[in-house]
Amino acid sequence: MNTTDSSGDVRLVGIGKTYGSFTAVHPLDLTVPQGSFFALLGASGCGKTTTLRMIAGLEEPTSGSVHLGEQEVTRLPPYKRPVNTVFQSYALFPHLDIFENVAFGLRRRGIRSVKKQVEEMLDLVQLGEQARKKPHQLSGGQQQRVAVARALINHPKVLLLDEPLGALDLKLRRQMQLELKRIQTEVGITFIHVTHDQEEAMTMADTVAVMDAGRVEQLGPPTELYENPRTTFVANFLGTSNLIEAEVDTRGGGDIVLDAGGGKLVLPEARCSASARTGDKVLVGIRPEKISLTHVDDAGEIPEGRNRVTGTIADASFIGVSTQYVVDSAVCPEFAVYVQNVERDGRLVPGADVVLHWSPAHTFGLDAAQSLLAGTTGSAGVESVEEEAA
Amino acid sequence: MSTLTEAPPPLRPAATERKAPRSRGRWTPYWLLLPGILWLVVFFALPMIYQASTSVQTGSLEEGYKVTWHFATYWDALGEYWPQFLRSVFYAAAATVLCLLLGYPLAYLIAFRAGRWRNLIMILVIAPFFTSFLIRTLAWKTILADNGPVVGALNSLHLLDVTSWLGWTAGDRVLATPLAVVCGLTYNFLPFMILPLYTSLERIDGRLHEAAGDLYAKPFTTFRKVTFPLSMPGVVSGTLLTFIPATGDYVNAELLGSTDTRMIGNVIQTQFLRILDYPTAAALSFILMAAILFMVTFYIRRSGTEDLV
Repeated sequence: MNTTDSSGDVRLVGIGKTYGSFTAVHPLDLTVPQGSFFALLGASGCGKTTTLRMIAGLEEPTSGSVHLGEQEVTRLPPYKRPVNTVFQSYALFPHLDIFENVAFGLRRRGIRSVKKQVEEMLDLVQLGEQARKKPHQLSGGQQQRVAVARALINHPKVLLLDEPLGALDLKLRRQMQLELKRIQTEVGITFIHVTHDQEEAMTMADTVAVMDAGRVEQLGPPTELYENPRTTFVANFLGTSNLIEAEVDTRGGGDIVLDAGGGKLVLPEARCSASARTGDKVLVGIRPEKISLTHVDDAGEIPEGRNRVTGTIADASFIGVSTQYVVDSAVCPEFAVYVQNVERDGRLVPGADVVLHWSPAHTFGLDAAQSLLAGTTGSAGVESVEEEAA
Repeated sequence: MSTLTEAPPPLRPAATERKAPRSRGRWTPYWLLLPGILWLVVFFALPMIYQASTSVQTGSLEEGYKVTWHFATYWDALGEYWPQFLRSVFYAAAATVLCLLLGYPLAYLIAFRAGRWRNLIMILVIAPFFTSFLIRTLAWKTILADNGPVVGALNSLHLLDVTSWLGWTAGDRVLATPLAVVCGLTYNFLPFMILPLYTSLERIDGRLHEAAGDLYAKPFTTFRKVTFPLSMPGVVSGTLLTFIPATGDYVNAELLGSTDTRMIGNVIQTQFLRILDYPTAAALSFILMAAILFMVTFYIRRSGTEDLV
């Protein structure tokens, strides 16, 4: 893997796609460096697959251009692009056996002696024994590996994966995630992976682009997206976030002090993506697992300098490694708190008054002009209920 | 051991209770088959047996026919009418190839490119069925008439000279020539080619085309390596549905042909209805059936359709 080599870079310049009056992808710029594992993450219909298909050449962009390394490929048909795709539901050729499926790309490029290469590739995906079977004789996981082998054997500059694991059950999916990651490390090809599964994107990719409604909401390494989301969509789509509406009180020394329902919350300036002049509204976010829960009687033991919110436990569910609490508070009606089961405090039961506290360093600030519920499954549920009612 | 021997009794009543509805249900499939079997016996098996016995009878219309196991009728019939047999197979094969060449692009267009016009084109394909077979064939008499547009066009392009030289047409005429009969056969059996082709093309997952393109196949290679092989079931059933009835057809040769273009269907019809030589007619029918069965078996074996998905 040569990171200075840029021949496998994928550069999208102002690329966009509209169907009539519907904009599937708003013009976007994106660079995927050679050798990286890049994920496009978003709910269905967010434009991630359209973006992928434009790179593959299966969809013609309405605007902008696609570059692979130094070469512009915007107008090239798919069969002239050094790019291969692993299709959703695999699209294996049903009339050809596994060997011929994998050899297809090589044969089309006029390569005569394919046997050795195909066998090596089938070994890489651990399907050497199945070479003479037809696709329908294989299990879903095996078919998926054939699809990967069929694409990888061509040594594409970029491998595109269109929700390749969507059809597999959970256990197999986990296994294939590791498998794909292993193959990617082994062959060092740029992978662009489209998925709606945030866990899949985070475990596999070096860089994740979260898409919503045809736009890239945020782009970065998984840890950064999770720890410091810049929009409510990202905050809610990746894991769970508690969002508190607050008003900027003062700022200085790299920190912003906010007023939330009478209490003071501290937020590092660097972790606030919204403008924060005094009087501005800001959404203060905190992940449930960053919060500590202390019974109100012990409130005095909480160290100074931590953000605090008081509330009443509404619900507690024990799930083994942790206990998940829902806390009613004045600033946020359903505060989610995950507490590791190290030492369980017997007083923390529904109805108990508690103090939630966390380090300001874990707090993030978002522009308050956005919907609080963007990216939550709950908001989608509400919409569908409304549609049914209408 | 004692527990083992004691255990079964309570199971028994349950077992018999279960058995009762099952034995009743066992006959249901046969009852359901009965109408179909009756139909086949009355309208297929019995006529076949009757024809088979007719084919080995001798005698005359005045004295009556008797079964004499006179198998020589088969040899005599084949010896006398083999040119008509060959001609039938040749015309039917030509019509089948033409149907495939005309029907495949149309079926492809309907399946992949027609979009919202799909239903309209399908209706247009089926529409001729609303008119009688005879009337449609008679209409071709007008189309191919000596002073009609087709002859005029072919003449001005000097194509009639070429077809005459090939032996497809005679002089300045198209009507009453092999070309006319093959045209009629092609026209009449074209929908039987298009419909199965369309059905099998339409079933092909469009993503397979994308996958082939993604794997460096140019559009024509995609067709050759993916689309066409996957449409083989349609090609096979389409050619069978065209070839089999076309071989036995006599209407097209009767209306559009001449005495030089008589097909085996015409011979059988004449033997049955005009010459009233029933044994020969029956023997010819059986030879035709055996020949078609043989060719079709060979064809299906060769095309290996059972391997296709």
